[in-house]
Amino acid sequence: MNELVHPYHCFIRPTVTHTTFCPGCGDGTVAQSILRAIDGLGMDMDDFVFVSGIGCAAWIPSPFFNADVLHTTHGRPIAFAFGIKMGLPDKKVMVVSGDGDLVAIGGNHLIQNARRNIEMTVICVNNGIYGMTGGQAAPTTPMGVKTTTTPYGTFENFFEDISGLVIAAGASFVARWTTAHPRQLTNSIKKAIQKKGFAFIEVLSQCPVQFGRKMGTGNAVQMLEDYKKRSISIKEAKKLSPEELRDRIVVGEFVDLDKPEMVEEVTRMIRRASGEVQEVVDAGRG
Amino acid sequence: MDTLRIYDELCKGVEECGICIYVCKEEVFRPSETLNQKGYRPPVIVNEDLCTQCENCMIFCPDLAVVVSEKKRKKGSK
Ligand SMILES: Cc1ncc(C[n+]2csc(CCOP(=O)(O)OP(=O)(O)O)c2C)c(N)n1
Ligand code: SF4
Ligand SMILES: [Mg+2]
Repeated sequence: MNELVHPYHCFIRPTVTHTTFCPGCGDGTVAQSILRAIDGLGMDMDDFVFVSGIGCAAWIPSPFFNADVLHTTHGRPIAFAFGIKMGLPDKKVMVVSGDGDLVAIGGNHLIQNARRNIEMTVICVNNGIYGMTGGQAAPTTPMGVKTTTTPYGTFENFFEDISGLVIAAGASFVARWTTAHPRQLTNSIKKAIQKKGFAFIEVLSQCPVQFGRKMGTGNAVQMLEDYKKRSISIKEAKKLSPEELRDRIVVGEFVDLDKPEMVEEVTRMIRRASGEVQEVVDAGRG
Repeated sequence: MDTLRIYDELCKGVEECGICIYVCKEEVFRPSETLNQKGYRPPVIVNEDLCTQCENCMIFCPDLAVVVSEKKRKKGSK
């Protein structure tokens, strides 16, 4: 009798014996959702370069995935990913990092590279907190929540709609899911990987230790249940007023469109400038 | 071949995590009587027969500590 073997253990670096996450952390579910997407597309880890910043979520690919991984400085993974894509345009480049990393300190890299529409997949693991450093308030921490740095509750308006920000910046593909939707998340990751352009997926992920335990939102299971209860599809959300949508999490694929991608545009420009191809005047693009 | 397998040594415990027991719609798991090497209490399989192979426990497990075998073909079909 042959023993059952986990289908994704082959994607894990042999020297890594376990994930770095606390018990019940959603980041491990996101990690598996990514591996399932890669496996489902019939792709290989060698097709990818993974890039992460600093934070718990940055440990999803590094050192866990048995692949080329660049674990970069805080807030900068998208900038590194841009460089990798320019140098190795045939590789699939995937950034996996936290809300603090990508939207706080790294916010402008996110906005500008979504605008440029550089082909890469960016998975923003949003736990609404700086998890790794001890639960400090982030720009994504819901207003009024008590954190390590805001013992009386946060008093700032917060980024409720990171996906909306990236849509406005001009990304080709934008989706939002939670760790209560790992199957849907995998499907969106598959589409994001295949997208010729900036593909952004926001995943709400439970941090039961620095968020749940400290803020009284409960343990991993209670936080998952909360995600399930608060989630609403884009179609259903359209029927509700802004007041009715307060505290709800709109999930689904918001944007999936084709538009000029910068690395390809640069290649085209180089071929024109070097005389390899004749200059074609495109009135539309100026 | 078995329907399910739990990698005890990868599990971070049903007390702190417990996602497998929560997402299983049947009562396939129960907390183990004993702890693993890291001091966490993994689940044990008590009702393998009830497993519908929905794969929820496998897909949700943050530590890739559960495997479900692919759904069997219906009896009689091949
Ligand atoms: C330049 C710089 N500033 C601050 C820090 C400290 N720091 C490390 S991780 C982190 C926040 C990470 O938050 P997030 O990206 O949301 O990741 P999480 O741990 O929540 O997954 C901060 C502020 C740092 N490492 N480098
Ligand atoms: S601190 Fe929070 S985000 Fe970081 S590993 Fe622990 S549970 Fe996960
Ligand atoms: Mg965070």
